[in-house]
Amino acid sequence: MNKILLSIHLNHNKSLPQLARIMKIVFILTFICSVHVSAKVYSQERFTLNMSNVSVDKVLNKIQSESNYRFFYNFGYLKHLDKLNVVAKNETLPEILNKLLDSTLSYQVLDDNLVVISLKGTQQLQHRIEGKVTDEKGSPLPGVSVQIKGTSQGAITNGAGRFTLLVPDNAVLTVSFVGYETQEITVGNQTTFNIELKVAASGLNEVVVVGYGTTKKATLTGAISSVKGSEVVKSPATNVSNDLVGRLPGLVAIQPSGEPGYDGSTLRIRGLNTLNNNNVLVVVDGIAGRSLDRIDPYSIESITILKDASAAIYGAQAANGVILITTKRGRLGKPEITFNVNAGYNQPTKIPKMADAATYATMLNEIAEYGNAQLPFSKDDIQKFADGTDPWGHPNTDWFASVLKKRSAQNSYNMTVSGGTESLRYFVSLGTKTQEGNYYHSGTKYNQYDFRSNLDGKITKDISLAFDVTGRMEDRNFPTRSAGDIFRMIMRGKPNLPAYWPDGTPGPDIEYGNNPAVISTDATGYDRDKNYVLNTNLRLNIDIPWVKGLSVTGNAAIDKGFDFRKLWQTPWYLYTWDGTSRDANGKPVLVKGKRGFDAPQLTEYAADNISTTINALLNYDRTFGDHGIKFLAGIEEIKGNGDNFSASKQHYVSTAIDQLFAGASLDKDNNGSGFINSRLSYFGRVNYSFRDKYLAEFVWRYDGSYIFPPNGKQFGFFPGVSAGWVVSKEGFFKSATNVIDFLKIRGSWGQTGNDRIPEWQYLATYAYGNFLGQPYYPFVTGGGVENQTLYETRVPNPNITWEVANQGDIGFDATLFNNKVSITADYFNYKRSHILLPPNASIPLSAGFTPPYENIGKVGNKGFDFNVSYSDDIGKLNFTIGVNGGYAKNRIIFWDETPGAPGYQKSTGHPMNTSLYYVAEGVFPDSASVAKVPHWDGARAGDIIFKDVNGDGKIDANDRVRIDKNSVPTFTGGVSLELRYGQFDLSILLQAATGAVNYISTESGEIGDFLESFAAGRWTDANHSTTQPRTFNRSNEYWVNQNNTFWLHKTDYLRLKNLQLGYSLPHNITKKLGIQAFRVYASGYNLLTYSPDYKDFDPEASAGSGQSYPLQRVVTAGLSVTF
Amino acid sequence: MLLQFISCKKDLNISPVDQFSDASVWKDPSLIQTFVNNIYGGIPHGFSNIMMSALDDEAMYNADFGSSNVTKSLITPSDLSIFDQNYWTGLRQRLMNWALIYKYVRPCNIFFSKIDAVHFDDPTAKSNLKGEVHFLRAYLYFDLVEMYGGVPIITKDYGLSDSFNVPRNTYAECITFITNECDSAASLLPLTATDLGRATKGAALALKARTLLYAASDFANSNGSWASGYANKDLIGYTGGDRVARWQAAKDAAKAVMDLGIYSLSGSLTPATVQEASANYANIFIQPQTSEDIFCRYFTTKVDENWDGYNPGLYNQPNGYHCWGSNTPTSQMVDSYEMADGTKFDWSNPAEAAMPYANRDPRFYASILYEGAQWRKRPADIAPSDPAGIIQVGTWQKWDGSKMITVAGLDTRQSPFENWNGTYTGYYMRKFVDPTIDAQNFKQTAPWRYFRYTEILLDYAEACIALGQEDEAKTYINQIRARSKMPAITETGAALLARYRNERKIELAFEDHRYFDIRRWMIPEQGYTDVMAVQPLYKMNADHTTAANPTYSIVDVQQRAWNPRFYFLPIALDEMNRNNKLVQNPLY
Repeated sequence: MNKILLSIHLNHNKSLPQLARIMKIVFILTFICSVHVSAKVYSQERFTLNMSNVSVDKVLNKIQSESNYRFFYNFGYLKHLDKLNVVAKNETLPEILNKLLDSTLSYQVLDDNLVVISLKGTQQLQHRIEGKVTDEKGSPLPGVSVQIKGTSQGAITNGAGRFTLLVPDNAVLTVSFVGYETQEITVGNQTTFNIELKVAASGLNEVVVVGYGTTKKATLTGAISSVKGSEVVKSPATNVSNDLVGRLPGLVAIQPSGEPGYDGSTLRIRGLNTLNNNNVLVVVDGIAGRSLDRIDPYSIESITILKDASAAIYGAQAANGVILITTKRGRLGKPEITFNVNAGYNQPTKIPKMADAATYATMLNEIAEYGNAQLPFSKDDIQKFADGTDPWGHPNTDWFASVLKKRSAQNSYNMTVSGGTESLRYFVSLGTKTQEGNYYHSGTKYNQYDFRSNLDGKITKDISLAFDVTGRMEDRNFPTRSAGDIFRMIMRGKPNLPAYWPDGTPGPDIEYGNNPAVISTDATGYDRDKNYVLNTNLRLNIDIPWVKGLSVTGNAAIDKGFDFRKLWQTPWYLYTWDGTSRDANGKPVLVKGKRGFDAPQLTEYAADNISTTINALLNYDRTFGDHGIKFLAGIEEIKGNGDNFSASKQHYVSTAIDQLFAGASLDKDNNGSGFINSRLSYFGRVNYSFRDKYLAEFVWRYDGSYIFPPNGKQFGFFPGVSAGWVVSKEGFFKSATNVIDFLKIRGSWGQTGNDRIPEWQYLATYAYGNFLGQPYYPFVTGGGVENQTLYETRVPNPNITWEVANQGDIGFDATLFNNKVSITADYFNYKRSHILLPPNASIPLSAGFTPPYENIGKVGNKGFDFNVSYSDDIGKLNFTIGVNGGYAKNRIIFWDETPGAPGYQKSTGHPMNTSLYYVAEGVFPDSASVAKVPHWDGARAGDIIFKDVNGDGKIDANDRVRIDKNSVPTFTGGVSLELRYGQFDLSILLQAATGAVNYISTESGEIGDFLESFAAGRWTDANHSTTQPRTFNRSNEYWVNQNNTFWLHKTDYLRLKNLQLGYSLPHNITKKLGIQAFRVYASGYNLLTYSPDYKDFDPEASAGSGQSYPLQRVVTAGLSVTF
Repeated sequence: MLLQFISCKKDLNISPVDQFSDASVWKDPSLIQTFVNNIYGGIPHGFSNIMMSALDDEAMYNADFGSSNVTKSLITPSDLSIFDQNYWTGLRQRLMNWALIYKYVRPCNIFFSKIDAVHFDDPTAKSNLKGEVHFLRAYLYFDLVEMYGGVPIITKDYGLSDSFNVPRNTYAECITFITNECDSAASLLPLTATDLGRATKGAALALKARTLLYAASDFANSNGSWASGYANKDLIGYTGGDRVARWQAAKDAAKAVMDLGIYSLSGSLTPATVQEASANYANIFIQPQTSEDIFCRYFTTKVDENWDGYNPGLYNQPNGYHCWGSNTPTSQMVDSYEMADGTKFDWSNPAEAAMPYANRDPRFYASILYEGAQWRKRPADIAPSDPAGIIQVGTWQKWDGSKMITVAGLDTRQSPFENWNGTYTGYYMRKFVDPTIDAQNFKQTAPWRYFRYTEILLDYAEACIALGQEDEAKTYINQIRARSKMPAITETGAALLARYRNERKIELAFEDHRYFDIRRWMIPEQGYTDVMAVQPLYKMNADHTTAANPTYSIVDVQQRAWNPRFYFLPIALDEMNRNNKLVQNPLY
């Protein structure tokens, strides 16, 4: 075995097929050496054998198959034994074994017929012990590590909290578990153990994942927050990015859409830091760039966010913080199988109320009146809209109710199998989830199928190997019109037109055949997007035997993505009535009309991409007396490339076959492109601790990125330092107080490079296309020849280099009152320098060019985040209450400004991403009031008053002021409550965000309906409001087409983000049923929302037009069974 | 050993797979031609959803979209409305904005800084390309000058470290620059292009003719009379010089195009019937190629300029055809079409008022859809309501057995079909629409004609009138009228000028000329009055039958207003703030 492994090393080279072969070999080997143990009952037996030219293990197998004996040995020990002939008549096991084994080996028969064969002279396993680990309330704790101190041998408790272990004499057990205090137990003569672990309220013994490794929370010096997978699965939202807000202090989430398949939140750590890309880096199991959104929550062990300079070790793309996801791994023990079933429904959190037909018709009359046009509706018409006496000619349609169901189904199923032996542990998970769209007969549906297999093999005492494979199919189904189109049409839906005629046939369109009740279904064809993801990772860890504490780890990850989308657009049919024709019975005659396309058309898209991450890490971790030293050095290369392709055909003569071959060759089309990227980094970390009291860390990264030019600008060096002082370990502290159990003060400062800007800024390049953003704007010459057009992409900047994040953080961790209260708080002060920006504001447009990004900007971002939790018992009630929050406010220190703009419009000194607005100061009640003040040219009664900010007597663009708010909240927080009472458990998460604003703008007037909140109280001839303007038509009024504060609303909200109530069957019942655990629960997501200043739309959604898929409320019930 | 996995630093030096490098472009004639192709995209065609004709007295844009702010002269440096470079619709107008035009000037300047060093196997190909770019740069500056007056003449291929703050050149300098560019282009370009759509000698000379005609017109020679108190009059026109010489130059330039001898008026010059004359005129705009094409923009059905860029059939046909009725002719425009006998149409003439659409200029039938006009068959779902395909912009009073009811036509704003797209003016645009195409589903591909020979003849005639050569002028005006079976003009003096101007309005209707003609002739009182509409009503007779012929009332449907500052666009406030050397246009 050792030999084979050695040959693997020698054969290492860069080629991936080689790697695949190695993985295959290792995989087979680990399986071969794993199956040795089988369970049979106690016995004393004699054997008769007659075997020739067999290996020793064959003989042992034969004995095992004919008896109750089980053999436990390492394959390698038997390798050197020659094949032999075995003849035995009615002999005992010891008699046979004495013949088989030579002088290097010995054996021992334990009391339950387990026979252990080991090398003579090595420490022998002598006792078989068993035990159960529980928490303070006696509930079994699964997954607890029970290790023989000073060795790598140990066991992990099963679902019932039980473990068995073979131990030598005088062994000491180390029992440890995340969130509990570690215990050491001397075995002695005892064979059964009942171990009770105490909760470490602070989670100080918790091991948290940090860059390229783990560390104990107690000795951590960086600003890090984490959440367990078991918390994440309490939310029924299918997208993990929606489960994190309110749970991780400092994390801000904005959700642009709730559409199944595209419902991910935009995540920000500690707000915004740069004027360009603020995306965080997602790292799953050590590999950057994997999906956070679509990972199966049941496979998540923990999620950690690195908020300060501790993220620096991830370099290049880590300046905005890092989210680390660790997936579950196998535990020692027999297979443990868990089924999770969860089913329920989703619905929009908030649907805006729109004006009814009578109100809308009245408002259209007002528009006509303002424009001197004929009134489109008579009093009689409006009366009929109101009283519903003429549903054919004067309908009153609620478009949201006509298109959206009350509830749409969603469910998820998951099975995990976990277990393993000393040499191979496995965690295997299979899952599927389905989420239906909100529409009746919805064409929107999201399906996901995923599997994960995480294998850990121990090849020798010093060499271990992990092999992880995750596969996923994301199957997105949509109607051929986008959610944007559909919701735009619902918002624009005219209440005086029918969605369906009174006889149930679909009504007319608003335009382009778009009747949202029809285009939201599969009546228009389909848009099917199948995205396949395959993530693999092979990790080899070698503990260097001759240097204690030194190990080498190598990772090779290949992430493969393949996408196939098929867009099949077919004509659909709508019914119109000319308003007069009736049949003999007086029923209106509806005429069927073909809409959308004249003939079916098909487009197929395929994309194929690959990303490879290869790294090597050298780790050293050792304690010398009071001095703890950890050292990490690594090198990492990440490369990616991909190609995509599309093809389309039109003029299908039939809808029967939806394949490309069946289309006409007229107007057929195809296209394709590709991408490539590459990054290379060297990095390291040194930790020093003295008695776990004084802690210091130094991280560095030397990053190279293809984004920057190869003339010396490509690489950047970014260091970071942090230090911690565990005050509570000081003698004076202990004597001074007994309230505070633990107190650590820590601080960090560091730099991280950021390369997240558009590519090739240093190159002069030319691309196909045009300046205007027209989808297809070729230069056509006579006879219909389409000629490509080539344009200059930018003026190159040969000096472009790294943007630098300077991050300072100071904080403390404390636990109080016998660990019942724990507090973590941080203050941070970040400064982003050399921010890469195009100097877009100062260069006159007459220069005509697209400037490249330059290292010109500087932004500061300051704030704090905190987490306080309190756990206690009141009688049988056990509870934990937690409060967390994060506040961040940024300020532009320097960037490109338009030189002649007035000072109050400049954004330097203000937060980023703000806009200029006219200041709305009420409404002109009458024309006399218009004349009194400076006003917009053409202003009239009922228009919004814009403030003459600079007092020059006219209203122009210089009267716009900068509003320091945008759609990203400055404060985000959560309050969580966990209750357990007997078999019941309850978990509640309240979440709040403040400091953000949204601009509400609806497409209203002749083009579509008004918000009811606008219609009510609007200025009219009869109601000279001074606060609510008159009816507007599209964006024709100056106070609609010029951004102004009238439409700007605070989105501050508090919401019941999550609630879950569960009940677990007591153990005495589950035992009878032959299962380990059984729990049922009900849970809800986004159940209640309070947003006093923002009532028409969901305050968490980023757009205030209603023209996007609404955010979702989810209510589900589920059960979880463990065998 | 694992370190062997990691490759070395040179792996970071990768090249894009979706873009061409500078070096690969400027040695390859094919890529250079592709680079030049892009510049053609900077010359806007007139088929956008909002046409230039909706911004003057020819038409009204029915969905507004900010166009009424323009026609009320409300645009300011703070709000250029549909002329803003980032406005959400109106590609035609956005491409007249300073920022976008200069974006296209830059590739011209890059071209000239690089082209001389490039080896072409075929030297003609190289000189042709140079000619094209001279022409395109001339056209871009022509657009700038028409919209803004004198502008900074930028011919430098700017780098990042250059100084960009440059002042405006005078109007006179700009005209000289444009005509010099046209001359350079004409000397390099072939008489006919192998690829239709590329610039030719004729295109360069035609642009020069239009430029010189505009420069000779009243506005450029008004010495800023409309902009009292404006200090920089040399930015907005000539401040001296010999105007007769300008007219002569304009005449010579038009003559140079005529003397090429390769263009002629399209179709029969002496049609026998009104129908023939009308069809002849309609066909000029829907045929792929005619004998009068000088410079055109071509299209295919795949050309995709967002929702509002190119689809004249969909944009302009009525709602009763599931189309958008976007640019609807005004009653004033329609009234400008003469009677077939050459007399003025007059609503106060009872016979003409009773049958206003009878016996009109044949071009009227080719350009306007009106109440009762025979048009193409209706879409399947609307056809049952009107199997014949007759335009219905009127209203019918009918007896339902017990009382009188009012039924609105299919193409009105009370129509059961998409009535929000119905016309306000009582008319739809017929010109440019190919009646063989079902526009709700398919795009037509007829080219946009930037320059056609008829315009050159009119340009020539206008210069002749100004130079007192009235007979020469009438010769060409009457050729054009004869092709449309219209009687010859015989007037002289001011009456002749008026007839010429109306002829130009009718012949070049909706072709992006009148917006500029109104300005250079300084006749805003015609161009920016309220939009009048016609409302045909089929009255119920005493016997409860409905009249076969409608009566017409004329109503005001859109307020318009003129402020002299709107002779030019304002330079955007943002641009003024970027470049402290700029001087704003008058009255803003």
